Amino acid sequence: MTLTDPTTENPTLHDRLLAGDRIFAETGNYAGIDTLELREDDPIKYESLHVKLRSTVVNARDMARRISASPGVREVGESVVALFTPEGDAIALSTGIMVHVHTASRFIKWMIQNDYEESPGIRHGDIFANNDAFIGTVQAPDVIDVTPIFHEGELIGWVAAVCHELEVGGITPGGDVALAQERYTEGLFVCAEKVGENDELRRDYLIRLERNLRMPIYWVLDEKAKVAACLEVRDQVLDLVDQVGVDYYKQATKEFIEEGRRGQLSRMRQLTVPGRYRGHTFFGHVTEGKNGVLPLGNKNWLYAIPMEMEVSAEGKLSIDFDGTNSWGYHSMNCTPAGMDGGMFVTLTQHMNYDGKVNDGAWLATELNLPSGTWTNPERETVATATSWALLLPAYGVFQRMLSRGFLARGFKEEVFVGQVNSPMIEMGGESQYGGQFGIALFECAAAGSGALGIKDGLDTSYVGWNPESDMGNMEVWEQDMPMVYLGRSISPNSGGFGRYRGGCGFESLWLVNNSSQLIAATSEHSSRVFDNAGMCGGYPAPTVQLHHSTHDAGIPERAAERKPLPHSLGSDPHESDLAKFADGTTHVEEGPYLATPLRHGDLFAHSYNGGGGYGDPLERDPGAVARDVANGYVTADVAAAVTGVVVEGTEVDEEATRARREGIVRGRRENSVPVSEWIQQQSQRIRRKDLAPEVAEMYRDSMSLSRRFAAEFREFWQLPEDFEFEAQPTR
Amino acid sequence: MTSYDTHAIGDLIDGTLPWPATKQMMSGYKDDTRFDTYLEVLQQRVPWPEEILLPIGEHLYIVKGAEGRVVKCDCGHEFGDYRENWKLQARIRVRDDQESIEEIYPGRFACDASWMELREFLCPGCLTLLEVEAAPPGFPVVFDFLPDLEALYQDWLGRPVP
Repeated sequence: MTLTDPTTENPTLHDRLLAGDRIFAETGNYAGIDTLELREDDPIKYESLHVKLRSTVVNARDMARRISASPGVREVGESVVALFTPEGDAIALSTGIMVHVHTASRFIKWMIQNDYEESPGIRHGDIFANNDAFIGTVQAPDVIDVTPIFHEGELIGWVAAVCHELEVGGITPGGDVALAQERYTEGLFVCAEKVGENDELRRDYLIRLERNLRMPIYWVLDEKAKVAACLEVRDQVLDLVDQVGVDYYKQATKEFIEEGRRGQLSRMRQLTVPGRYRGHTFFGHVTEGKNGVLPLGNKNWLYAIPMEMEVSAEGKLSIDFDGTNSWGYHSMNCTPAGMDGGMFVTLTQHMNYDGKVNDGAWLATELNLPSGTWTNPERETVATATSWALLLPAYGVFQRMLSRGFLARGFKEEVFVGQVNSPMIEMGGESQYGGQFGIALFECAAAGSGALGIKDGLDTSYVGWNPESDMGNMEVWEQDMPMVYLGRSISPNSGGFGRYRGGCGFESLWLVNNSSQLIAATSEHSSRVFDNAGMCGGYPAPTVQLHHSTHDAGIPERAAERKPLPHSLGSDPHESDLAKFADGTTHVEEGPYLATPLRHGDLFAHSYNGGGGYGDPLERDPGAVARDVANGYVTADVAAAVTGVVVEGTEVDEEATRARREGIVRGRRENSVPVSEWIQQQSQRIRRKDLAPEVAEMYRDSMSLSRRFAAEFREFWQLPEDFEFEAQPTR
Repeated sequence: MTSYDTHAIGDLIDGTLPWPATKQMMSGYKDDTRFDTYLEVLQQRVPWPEEILLPIGEHLYIVKGAEGRVVKCDCGHEFGDYRENWKLQARIRVRDDQESIEEIYPGRFACDASWMELREFLCPGCLTLLEVEAAPPGFPVVFDFLPDLEALYQDWLGRPVP
């Protein structure tokens, strides 16, 4: 293709996009800008424009939240609004789900690359929508709307608004479609389509939504909210352009992005240490023999996510997923757009929180996403509906690696053990009002965070994907699902132990109400392995979640007889309160809940994760342990076993604590060996391949995908060069 | 320019800096003197004379030793050259059966020992728990951090590595 010089008259958007890439490759600077001239000439005017643009997108998002009828957007804040250059580079973002710094960029660039200027055409008043992760979003429920901004006939930018939908019409109800195993089961896709003209959504698009979703009101009203936000930003930007002049606007917005790029590099140099960082996490997905699992997905999966982070002398951040596993017939695959999103929602919280959050930072980072892995399937038929299942653990590793740098430089107040998955519960069937329904219950937006380097983690109030985490009011959720809460409680012992405890997760217990058929499906929770870690001696949070349900629990009868009722799983880790305080038989389900539908009178419990701990638990302040016990955050027996603090009632028994802690140290000496000795023992085990089938398969897959992983594995365990694991026979 | 004295940084390290001051430190501009103040506080606290070049964890530092740059615990135990993984010179307690895992994670909180074990890396000198790895049996031990000391000191701090 012949490039048109973008400085000549009337270059196409496609030409400008290619030229922009070429100029960046040649100069290393965004748009070739080597001096921030406008900033230097008049910093007040320059900063004033940036603040006004930022305010515009923030205000538009707030307005949109009040138009939306979806509790996910209104209560939990699952939305974001952003402004882009004509080429699709993010200039300014609102607060909210800032995952979409670069996902909406990819969507806009995709339209440009596919010559949307010619067909279907890009005109004033057009509205385009997309929820295809291979074009540019994270997963099908993240529906992005964009509108172009024209000034006197010239396209000078785009506005994007994103809402996370609670129902997308997939094989299982809700937004994060648990049972999706291929694209064709994920629900309704809108693939970079023109869905509106003349500032109005097209009627045929709305009809499509109404006929393909279990609960169309959420998506339809979110569409109206997003369009309102886009038009509001468009009009306000045009007012600002009139004030500062279009040439100033175009140049300043480019400088904002270049400044964002430089800011990211300098922030790395300021807060971290150059070098190589490594970490890992794992995820278990137990679906063999489950209801609804298709033949190719009928197995149990164990994912390894080893990560390497390189910080260059320049301050450039590179993350490498070499050694991770293949994509699969499940819903947890991710696209490069989603991987961008995961990185950016993390960076905006740790690096770009005070200034110009835009695509400049993207230009100062690099991801290696090995082809054929879940990070980059290069097969657009795979399902990505629950990509957060693997994304969140991965970017929790990223947070710990960054934190190692913060710790080394002395910025201990920034050290953070990281985010965890927060399992979803989605449901559909017959509503309490008699009709059909479907919803993702988004109270998951409030897990426990990892500990900090200076204090305990946040309890029940943090998820990585929404920095404004909020679980929403129980009464609001009860309006939208045929279940009433019997309780919503802190889960004791759910935070990872350490000098600083990981934040606690919580659990909800519901009574199914006035429904003859409630299909529940859960996702984004790991089975058999913890999908997080501690740091500097802290333990991971216990994130292996099981599901507890009781059919015909007899709650009204028990209440009438004044018998005890269950309100949570309870503090006994061996027998739940459902088993103790309800009639009927309690079932405990491992892996995604894809069991028999629930009905009126049944109980269902769901647990949300806590975060990992920081530092040696023996260094934990005994008084803090006593407070945890008094508040129900840990139980006295587990506190004594792990931290060595003996609490009687609400008081610390100092003598017993001293003896217990000495005993734990003795146990460490007696039960430990030199690592070299352990390696020799384990090497024999590896040679015998004495591993669970899923573990052996995980290594076989990683070794076949990555020469480096295979070489390091053989070297570490002193194995012969031809050592490998055999493929498991397929049934 | 923002700056904090050794008392404030000492309290930060100990987790005793009052929350309003900590919050201000989190939200405000970062101080360019932090690294040197941090090293000064840490150096005062350790009972040995070797110069700390870079902290790499709680209790662990890369120091300028008589025979090169080594990883050292604040109890004085040395783990060898910082370019090698210090964990390989540690003691390890592995929780690889349900009973030992359930000491930390009782009942429904436990992982499955055939899919995941807990590796506790302990200092041979003071038995402090320095790192915990949760990994499937057979996963190689992770080398968490290999800093580029030359780039840090020369390029970022503008002085040679001590």
